[in-house]
Amino acid sequence: MRESASDIIYQLKNVARVRESNGYAFSLRVPSLRIQRGEKIALIGESGCGKSTLLDMLAFILRPTELEDFSFHARGGRVDIGEAWSKRRRNRLAALRKAHLGYVMQTGGLLPFLNVHDNINLSRRMLGMEDDGTVRTLARELGLTRHLHKLPSALSTGERQRVAIGRALAHRPAIVIADEPTASVDPFAAEKIMSLFIGMVEEMNITVIVASHAWRHIKQLGLRRLAHHTRKSPDGRMTETVVSG
Amino acid sequence: MLRQKRQILSLATRDYFHEWQISICFVLALAAVLGPMMVLFGLKFGIVGSMIEELVEDPVKREIRPVGSGHYDRVWMDKLHKRDDVAFIVPRIRSIASSLSAQSEAGGRILHLEVIPSAPGDPLLDASLPAPDGLDKVVLSASAARKLQLSAGDTLEGSLVRTWQGRKERVVLSLKIVAIAPATAFRRDGLFASVMLVEALEDFRDGHAVPALGWEGSPAVKERTYTGFRLYARSIYDVAALEDSFERSGIEVRTQAADIETVRRMDNTLSAIYWAIALIGLGGFSLSLGASLWANVDRKRKELSVLRLVGFRTGEIVLFPLVQGLYTGVFGWILACGIYLAAAWSINAMLAPQLEKAQKICRLLPEHYLIALGITLGAALLAAILAGMRAARVEPSEGLREL
Repeated sequence: MRESASDIIYQLKNVARVRESNGYAFSLRVPSLRIQRGEKIALIGESGCGKSTLLDMLAFILRPTELEDFSFHARGGRVDIGEAWSKRRRNRLAALRKAHLGYVMQTGGLLPFLNVHDNINLSRRMLGMEDDGTVRTLARELGLTRHLHKLPSALSTGERQRVAIGRALAHRPAIVIADEPTASVDPFAAEKIMSLFIGMVEEMNITVIVASHAWRHIKQLGLRRLAHHTRKSPDGRMTETVVSG
Repeated sequence: MLRQKRQILSLATRDYFHEWQISICFVLALAAVLGPMMVLFGLKFGIVGSMIEELVEDPVKREIRPVGSGHYDRVWMDKLHKRDDVAFIVPRIRSIASSLSAQSEAGGRILHLEVIPSAPGDPLLDASLPAPDGLDKVVLSASAARKLQLSAGDTLEGSLVRTWQGRKERVVLSLKIVAIAPATAFRRDGLFASVMLVEALEDFRDGHAVPALGWEGSPAVKERTYTGFRLYARSIYDVAALEDSFERSGIEVRTQAADIETVRRMDNTLSAIYWAIALIGLGGFSLSLGASLWANVDRKRKELSVLRLVGFRTGEIVLFPLVQGLYTGVFGWILACGIYLAAAWSINAMLAPQLEKAQKICRLLPEHYLIALGITLGAALLAAILAGMRAARVEPSEGLREL
């Protein structure tokens, strides 16, 4: 992989999210993080260590409490995410998500009142993209063809996760963020869905950041694992996770 | 961004119909408040409306008559006539002079008729029939027409007697009946005549000459004064003010102001009661609608978070509960109209035997339905905007991981 500034998609320096409640403090610190275009990143750790917090910040849906530099390099150029947050330009962040991001959640995240086809097509429709068969192709690859006209409530958990993957990919985003996309399905299905997912992003040349608690499932998929360590204060009142890479 | 607005509209619509059970509950809750409110207003409007209609339709209620006799001249009358709140005024002469004996070929008997000064636009007469005119065209009261067996188009022989210069004189004049007055206009035997004819009769009685009719006597009157007038206010609501103005200028008058005041006070009281109930109802209705929309935003946090996550703008997120609030408003209103119509129909059918034909105890005008719709949508919009602002504040990361 080439290392050139133009290929960097995320650049974070001293970004942190600190949350305190009931005398307990949780903090996630990112001293430095750079993600290249096309990279496949894995974030492995126990639940509660702050993986979701980092993913939400990378998806521009959670505001960092401290930051020195948080920039995102879209096709159009560099965007200062820190500035957008501090100026409360939430619609600017929404526009970035719409155009460049796909997000797969641990469960659901589907709209219960839309059928599978329309759920997958949601972002494409927002962007005014023509119906060029992408939705059908994705559905075929994900094994959802016969479910296209069903509502999510009629699907199994694994099928719903595949729909969520379809929706995250349908508008050909630059980045797909997946937060434990297979945690709610059985290990056998999880492995299948994960390798299908990684195979698809690879083929579409999409940057992917995936969080999981089980490295075992994904180590053979060729992902770069982000280094992190979690510290707890002796009285258990403070949890701090530091991620860098 | 019109595309996304259209999209959110369609998403809100699909969600609304997808969750039809909940939506039906909202619609029922709304109609349960709005329907009875409309019935209540329909009753108030129907009852007070028919009372007022009775007052308005009966011209007698608008009449203002002077007590005793005075001296009024033409200029003063004309000035009154120009007032906006005066619909009709004609001068009246001494009552002793305003009578006529009448005889018809068919009736065979002599009838003593009161002569009532009239003019086109007389509220007592049917506006679609010809009015008394000139010295020979008159309108007969229904009772006189019956007794004389005369109808419109017939001719009447009127006779008039005076004692002048020691001699008893009698003149006869031929009058054409152009119309018969409605029975309610004048219950006794009477004759509606033009002011010109009434003046001629008075002049003859007083011994003056009436050249137009070829009656001889002392020279014609130059400056005429009248002893009274027939005056009708423009509407029942003008009667009290006109009465005041007469009393101020020292003319004692008799009116139906007390009756009118009773109905008006009743209207006010009923209106006040109605508005009190309506305001309480509206308040409760807005609160319940607001609370349900508000709670709905809470219930839909996850969906709204997903919409935020995929990149809908704040303004579009606000539209989501707004559109749903409008649906509830419109469907609730339609259902309430149905409830009202059913209730109004049964009330009217139940009370029909006690009512005059075409009279309705419970009724609404088309604009009342629209006002109800306007108020409903207003309340729904207000509640939905508050709910929508709450929806917009939902952090996408907050709702996403709720199961």
